[in-house]
Amino acid sequence: MSTASLSTEQAPPISVPLRFFAVAPLFLILAALTAMMSDRIADVHTPALLAVTHCITLGFIGMIMFGAMQQILPVVIGSPMPSSRLVAWFSLLPLIFGTISLSGGFLLSNAALLHLASLLLGVAFLVFIVASLVSLARAATRNATATAILLSVLALTAAVALGIVLAQGYAGGLQLDYQKLAAAHMSLALGGWVMLLIVGVSYQVVPMFQLTPNYPKWLSAGLAPALFAALLLNLASSFFDILSLGFIAEGLFWLCASCFALVTLNLQFRRRRRVTDATLNFFRLGMVSLLCAALCAAAALLAPAHEYFSQLSIVVFILGFALSVIHGMLYKIIPFLVWFHLFRGGVKKGVPNMKEVIPEPWMWRHLWLHIVTLLAALLAFFWHAAAWLLILGLALQGVLLSFAIFTSIMVYRRTYQRLEKVGP
Amino acid sequence: MNTIAEFMSTDHRACDLTFALAEQAALDNSWNDAETAFDTFRQNMQRHFRMEEEVLFPALLDAGGPGGPVQVMRMEHAQMNELIELMATAAANKNTQGYSGLSETLLIVMQQHNLKEEQILYPIADRILAAELETLFSSMQAIQ
Repeated sequence: MSTASLSTEQAPPISVPLRFFAVAPLFLILAALTAMMSDRIADVHTPALLAVTHCITLGFIGMIMFGAMQQILPVVIGSPMPSSRLVAWFSLLPLIFGTISLSGGFLLSNAALLHLASLLLGVAFLVFIVASLVSLARAATRNATATAILLSVLALTAAVALGIVLAQGYAGGLQLDYQKLAAAHMSLALGGWVMLLIVGVSYQVVPMFQLTPNYPKWLSAGLAPALFAALLLNLASSFFDILSLGFIAEGLFWLCASCFALVTLNLQFRRRRRVTDATLNFFRLGMVSLLCAALCAAAALLAPAHEYFSQLSIVVFILGFALSVIHGMLYKIIPFLVWFHLFRGGVKKGVPNMKEVIPEPWMWRHLWLHIVTLLAALLAFFWHAAAWLLILGLALQGVLLSFAIFTSIMVYRRTYQRLEKVGP
Repeated sequence: MNTIAEFMSTDHRACDLTFALAEQAALDNSWNDAETAFDTFRQNMQRHFRMEEEVLFPALLDAGGPGGPVQVMRMEHAQMNELIELMATAAANKNTQGYSGLSETLLIVMQQHNLKEEQILYPIADRILAAELETLFSSMQAIQ
């Protein structure tokens, strides 16, 4: 067990997580622009939709998670990522340019761009995965969060490998079973990496933000392994073409996911801190969305002829569950980081508290904007004109979040310079 | 109570509860209730810090425990104390907005501090102080 990990310098410099958080919202804007420029956005089989989806999943979700992991690992498992600045640059830059190349490659059906994307994204994820594994191996504590994060990183590794195979196949016009590979890629990336990471981090932050009871032991010990097992079963069923096994695996996955959502909502209902803030509502929206995604997935299992059920489930999972939870976390983490890095300086007077970093009304506005965007996404399945509202909503969310993060950075800089002048 | 982790974590939860009561009353502008709850919270926190700084940490260091982490925990106690004093001023001035911002900030500092203690430091203490748990518990309980 490492004890040095509680040292003062365990937190990475503020610029490490903030650079990921500052870039990520730009990809929401880019996703909206990409969707706007391409026609037939409502047709799920177009390369344009792949481009838009990857702007959101890699450019936004992946970017935030890269930054958040750097910040979260030292606190929850007592072990920072090694060489945080170096890892930050070698994961941030290739992720930015890799995502742009990938989306460009899809949009323009350009093989060179897809090859470049495979290389860049391969580097970004390799650096991130190796750094995460080193941090996990040095962890000062073995808890349910560490297990969930480890499983999520393993799922990510497989998802990235499959993604690269798909991009290469697409670029070279290879004969691959695209449907099967894409399904496995998606299930590992969303159901594995995103879901497991959110589960692991929730074990810590849900009780922390609202003073709820802890997650019950049976759940925190069993949930992540059960979700991971369901994903493996699903892969096996697809590989060996055993339809009934796939049915069981999907059922198990969504049952576990629903269980997580219900327990989280119940814990939040029993919270000791009664104050309702935007973060709490973002989380509750996320959990309700996860339940809706599970219902849609169940409908898709029972009525496989209706393709839109599974599409609906994916959209609700990404926009409703993942994005809501991420927004909620950002609105706590960013103000805290600004305060934390200013306050530990020595001069305490005039350091803005968390609510003076990002004004609360902005967070509430963002919550409402996010709800409207989500409703527009659902409506777009039945009424194509709503897609424009969805695009506008995504773009506005990107602008609002960028503005909030830019403001936070300015508050940090201004206060830092003022404190420097005053001296300790 | 069988372990330091259980004993101290229970005390963390008790502090959390008074924190939440004080915050709620302040946000409701019930300043009489808020000040009473806040005073209880401040006393609970100071008692908890003293249990650690006067009993647990010295025992841990005497038994060859890790000095760096203990130092970080002391530093975070000092940070929390400063926030608590700022909150006291806000409460005295009946400044709801100021109190709520400080309270939000203290919550995160306090919770991530607790997390590190509960998951890393207390388990270490339980391991290296296993022989003297009863004495430690009674010394800590004696602190007012």
